[in-house]
Amino acid sequence: MKNPILRAANLAAPKQQRNWDWRAASNFIAGGAGGGLLLLTLLAVSLAGFAPEVTRSAILLGLMLIGGGLTCVWFEIGRPWRALNVYRHFSTSWMTREAVVALVLFSFGALALLTLHPVFVVVSGILGLGFLYSQARILAANKGIPAWRHPRSIALMVATGLAEGGGFLACVVAISSAALAAPALLALIALIAIRVWFWKAYLGGMVADGAPDGALRVLSGLDSRFVVLGHVLPALAVTAALAGMPGRAGLVFAAGIMVVASGWFLKYTLVRRAAFTQGLALSRLPVRGRGPAGAATKPGWKAVPGTKTG
Amino acid sequence: MSMEAAQPKSVKHVPTLCYNCVSGPDFMCVKVVDGVATEIEPNFAAADIHPAKGKVCVKAYGLVQKTYNPNRILTPMKRTNPKKGRNEDPGFVPISWDEALDLVAGKLNAVRAKGLVDEAGLPRVAVSLGHGGTPSNYMGTFPAFLAAWGPVDFSFGSGQGVKCVHSEHLYGEFWHRGFTVASDTPNARYVISVGANVDVTGGPCAVIRHADARVRGYKRVQVEPSLTATGACSAEWVPIRPKTDPAFLFALIHVLVRENGLAKLDIPFLRDRTASPYLVAPDGLYLRDPQSGKPLVWDEVTATAVPHDTVGARPAVAGSYRIAQAVVVDADNERREYSDVEGKTAFEMLSQHIDKYTPEWAETICDVKAETIRRIANEYLEAASIGETIVIDGQTLPLRPVAITLGKSVNNGWGAFECCWARTVMAALVGALENPGGLVGTTVRLNKSRDNRHLSVKPGEDGFMVQYFNPTTKEEWQSAPSTRNLHQTLVPIVGHNGAWSQALGPTQLAWMFQGERPDDWSMPMPTLPDVWLVYRSNPSISFWDTKHLAEVAARFPFMACVAYTVDETNYMADVLLPEATDLESTQMIRMGGTKYMEQFWDYKGVVLRQKAVEPQGEARDFTWITTELAKRTGLLDPYFGAINKGVSGVSPLKGKDYDFSLDPASEPGSEQIWDAVCRAATLTLSEGREEHDLEWFREHGFYAVPMSRLEWYLTPTMEKLGLRYELPYQERLLRTGRELGRRLHEQKMNWWDEQLSEYTALPEWHDVPGRWIRNLENSGAKIEDFPFWLLTTKSMQYHAGGNAAIEVMHEVAQNLRGHAGVIMNAKTAAGLGIAEGDRVEVRSHIGATYGKASLMQGIRPDTLVIMGQFDHWATPFAKTIGAPSLNTIAPMSLDLTDATGSGADIVRVGVRKVEGVAA
Amino acid sequence: MTRYVMSIDLRRCVGCQTCTAACKGANATPPGIQWRRVLDIETGEFPDVRRTFLPVACMHCANPPCEAVCPTRATTKRADGLVAIDYDLCIGCANCVMACPYDARSIVHESHFAYGDTPMASEAKRFDPDRIGVSMKCTFCVDRIDLAAITGQVPGVDPEVTPACVNSCISGAMQFGDIEDPQSSVSRLLKETQHYRMHEELGTEPGVYYIWDQS
Repeated sequence: MKNPILRAANLAAPKQQRNWDWRAASNFIAGGAGGGLLLLTLLAVSLAGFAPEVTRSAILLGLMLIGGGLTCVWFEIGRPWRALNVYRHFSTSWMTREAVVALVLFSFGALALLTLHPVFVVVSGILGLGFLYSQARILAANKGIPAWRHPRSIALMVATGLAEGGGFLACVVAISSAALAAPALLALIALIAIRVWFWKAYLGGMVADGAPDGALRVLSGLDSRFVVLGHVLPALAVTAALAGMPGRAGLVFAAGIMVVASGWFLKYTLVRRAAFTQGLALSRLPVRGRGPAGAATKPGWKAVPGTKTG
Repeated sequence: MSMEAAQPKSVKHVPTLCYNCVSGPDFMCVKVVDGVATEIEPNFAAADIHPAKGKVCVKAYGLVQKTYNPNRILTPMKRTNPKKGRNEDPGFVPISWDEALDLVAGKLNAVRAKGLVDEAGLPRVAVSLGHGGTPSNYMGTFPAFLAAWGPVDFSFGSGQGVKCVHSEHLYGEFWHRGFTVASDTPNARYVISVGANVDVTGGPCAVIRHADARVRGYKRVQVEPSLTATGACSAEWVPIRPKTDPAFLFALIHVLVRENGLAKLDIPFLRDRTASPYLVAPDGLYLRDPQSGKPLVWDEVTATAVPHDTVGARPAVAGSYRIAQAVVVDADNERREYSDVEGKTAFEMLSQHIDKYTPEWAETICDVKAETIRRIANEYLEAASIGETIVIDGQTLPLRPVAITLGKSVNNGWGAFECCWARTVMAALVGALENPGGLVGTTVRLNKSRDNRHLSVKPGEDGFMVQYFNPTTKEEWQSAPSTRNLHQTLVPIVGHNGAWSQALGPTQLAWMFQGERPDDWSMPMPTLPDVWLVYRSNPSISFWDTKHLAEVAARFPFMACVAYTVDETNYMADVLLPEATDLESTQMIRMGGTKYMEQFWDYKGVVLRQKAVEPQGEARDFTWITTELAKRTGLLDPYFGAINKGVSGVSPLKGKDYDFSLDPASEPGSEQIWDAVCRAATLTLSEGREEHDLEWFREHGFYAVPMSRLEWYLTPTMEKLGLRYELPYQERLLRTGRELGRRLHEQKMNWWDEQLSEYTALPEWHDVPGRWIRNLENSGAKIEDFPFWLLTTKSMQYHAGGNAAIEVMHEVAQNLRGHAGVIMNAKTAAGLGIAEGDRVEVRSHIGATYGKASLMQGIRPDTLVIMGQFDHWATPFAKTIGAPSLNTIAPMSLDLTDATGSGADIVRVGVRKVEGVAA
Repeated sequence: MTRYVMSIDLRRCVGCQTCTAACKGANATPPGIQWRRVLDIETGEFPDVRRTFLPVACMHCANPPCEAVCPTRATTKRADGLVAIDYDLCIGCANCVMACPYDARSIVHESHFAYGDTPMASEAKRFDPDRIGVSMKCTFCVDRIDLAAITGQVPGVDPEVTPACVNSCISGAMQFGDIEDPQSSVSRLLKETQHYRMHEELGTEPGVYYIWDQS
């Protein structure tokens, strides 16, 4: 592949990152959901108890999601056969932490799968949360991508991971025709509500704190669809199920799918389409011999926060 | 080819130079790893003597790729398809050097047998060389071969003469021995840069001077329709309407002369160093002393008219005076006597002439607010700090830190004479002409000696320096042209100083008249040369109406090209000769002194371009090629004779105390030739103290001796010789034009009449842009179909053009706006539904060119700009980049040819968005 | 302590890309990869327009976000302020590419050359397979800085141990040196001028100073 030559007019402005494609996005998409699912499985098992096959299905799905995501990203990195360098040259990066958590998680996950021993289930669930949190921090640590580095992205990533976990769990339970208890359905509605709250907080924060126009355009464009398809509709479906509408399992399954799909779409958007780089800026335009210096400029950004004048 | 990452066995840093554009030479080193050139680096060993501190510009960093470009021609080739044309595959096949040289020499020998000049009186051999004289810094001893040959026609230009700063060349040398003209930037405080793009084309020497000046706090005002890099680096941008620059400059003079008045100007300079006091008769000619014939001035001491050089007189600069007895001398030496006649001083003539050119008038022409023009003129006057002095090398000189510089298309073509005149007058009015801080010439090319312009200043007529015009007298005028561009016949001011005068003739006429000629053509019909040699030149890209030009080129009976790659011109060649390129060949050249564009040194000397790596393939050093040709044409004796005289070197090989003359009988090789040149040059420069051979230069690269900065300024020399600048009044030009007109009309030729209108004593505004509009209308086109002005501008990455095939230049150039595209105003584009990067067609009445839209705010809404010269269709790599070119769609036309024989890069166009690849 | 920094005088820069091309030559970067480049930034509306040339590259931050995210410690900040990449450790995960707010890093996954798939002699001579699939960026010409430690030369003063871009700059826009040394040319220049560092609000503490006026 030839490296494309960018046009001069576009060089300074923020542009969509090209280094992490669908493979890396898949890690956040699937892995986050998997982590969320493991934690929610732990909670559900602890609070309500599941049939062993349901628990097994949920844990297996969670591990597959995480494993699948990591496999995808392995195909993306430039030197895949050196991937173990992450363990050999230990650092404090969140990617390292993710990798360590994943290693331990697979060990405990496998034991949980085999034994269904509560300790292993609990540890797997906690590690699932750890994995999810690490991923959120990986994104947030990237100072070069304003849509990621915003502090509210962490809560959003965790919230969507948990909501997706909840969605998956709802699907698993709906398929397994296990009892769909009201508290569990209320919990799903809560997860949906929490995610939309963090989404709105994130979006508001991005607008208020400033971000590349391109990123804001993408995120704002996502807003109504995401809220309706990912929150309003599934919440209505769950409410209908709670209200005793016929086809309860189907409603819950549909709600679960909508929550998962919308979350994945959010993450794909965040990792790919809204991932505009910082871009390059001038705090001052130089004096050219005589006359005043020019004001700050930040191509591709509407406002210029954090620059002084005078 | 195997990939290597092993440790290198040998690493060398070879000192050499870059002279790819006219702003060279500049120093560099080539890093050579195990015999392979890998990097270009500055040569810091030269940092103390080189104004640019031993550095080269971006172009030089493409020379490694230039060397190893896989698209190079690496063996001699001959054409197998007898048909020539853009759609005819030349069918080049490799041949041996022997066969190639025999082929070329055979044609040359046939010419010698027939006679060097054909039945039309024109040379049978034509030579085309590329950009601005730079090829002579790469072609080794070829100039000696040309000198040995005899008459050669340099008429078929690749742009020189029409796309250079032509009027500046001609009038700059005429007025102040400035083949090109610059600001004395190190001392400047205020520079009005009218289209001059010095931060792009001035080379490293100019760039560092202006960068230093910016940091020092000088003000540069860029007057130009689009915001170039130079405009970007200026304190102010004035987006003037294209080709209305004379009106802007006239208004500046108006503000100085009419609104500020003589009292605020540099009266001593005007009185003593210019012809301002010369008295002008009502008929427009100088009033002269009846006895001596010398122009008269009004002496304020005796209140009488006296010859201009009367000792003790104090000439009046302004006013009109009654003169008892005087004569005038008109064309063809016709004398008229006057008694009790009113004589106005030349300054007075200027003052009355310029009265109508107010800033308010100029506003309507230039689309620049009158208040802006007035402010700029007043800032200029104030910055001139008349009365201030500076001490240079112990000598006190006036310090006048203001200058007006002109750019291409401002200082060539119609309107350029007016611009050159106005800015030189602006300098004279404040005493800034050829004084520290002011407007200075760089070097001479139409006068001798070429390496010292001070030596070219000798007393001539009427208190002015001597001039060598082509004669226009009945007896001497060249009625049958000796070159195909008619330079001696039509352009008196270009003179007849060899190749430079020829090359600066109306080269477009040479191309045009191979097609249609004026109805009242009464000279011998122009012929095609039997042999055409082309070196470092691609007129099929770099001239105008390139499609037509390529068709003409296809008709030449025999064409031999020194070829780097296949290109649009050598596509028509019969023989291709692969030359060792920049890093592969050897030549010694001069450096230092003062030279365009802003090379003003404190040293002068010589520098060696040396073979840093072995030539690729069968490529050969040009000196070897030349010597072989001399041998095969039986010209070894005159060829080495010319080398011994110093034609190809830097000084004669035989001097007072040395003799390195080469004996033709021993057939000296390239090494011996350059060794002798090295020794002679160092002995000459050091005045016999030091002698260095080729080996020494291979290690050290250059040799320099100090030079006084006083050599930068001509006025002290003028003062020493008691001479005046021929300003502001142009009596000589007036007379010359009248004489030329008579000669042409005697031959029943009226097709040059429009051009004769340029010969005026004081230039008038004559709707310069209107000439392009009328040309369009005359061709039957509708003006509303072509609502935009298309201009061109240069790019440092591509300036001089030889590197369009270099991948890395393309890559880095893309970081700058406008490359590979059509620059247009963003709002205009929005109105036409054109977005950034859209493919657009730019169409003139003769054709269309295609590229991507590059939207900018920094361009007038009525103007488009296409950078550089592209539209390649044969040159490998260059033909794939899809960049447009003004040259494809700019016509050649007599209407658009000024009196110097030049034109300008401007054409009326329409623009529209096109989908995909258009035909 | 030593901290090597670069100052770039925006008043001087003419956007010529000599540094861009010199860097490509000195570091043998493949087509399309520029460890440094000069941006051409236009502001305002006709006729009140400015064009500014902005050289950009790795800022060699004191608090480099690329280092913080590197999972293998391939990216490290050296004691002399240079941010370095160990090509043997890097797994090419690209996290650092996106952590950098200066667009300074890139990864090339396949080798390619100026004129197609076959390298020219100059490219073959310098092709380094270790640089495929890993993160790359401006090194401040680290080999030269390291050479200075051996020869005793001074980066920013002696060209042999000064970054290629600084050496090449024809407008004299760039200075290089130790900001901890008050006598270094870069320290003295920064004292005389007004300057800023890009995106300082991100807390990266970049090592490149942009000069825009005298003080």
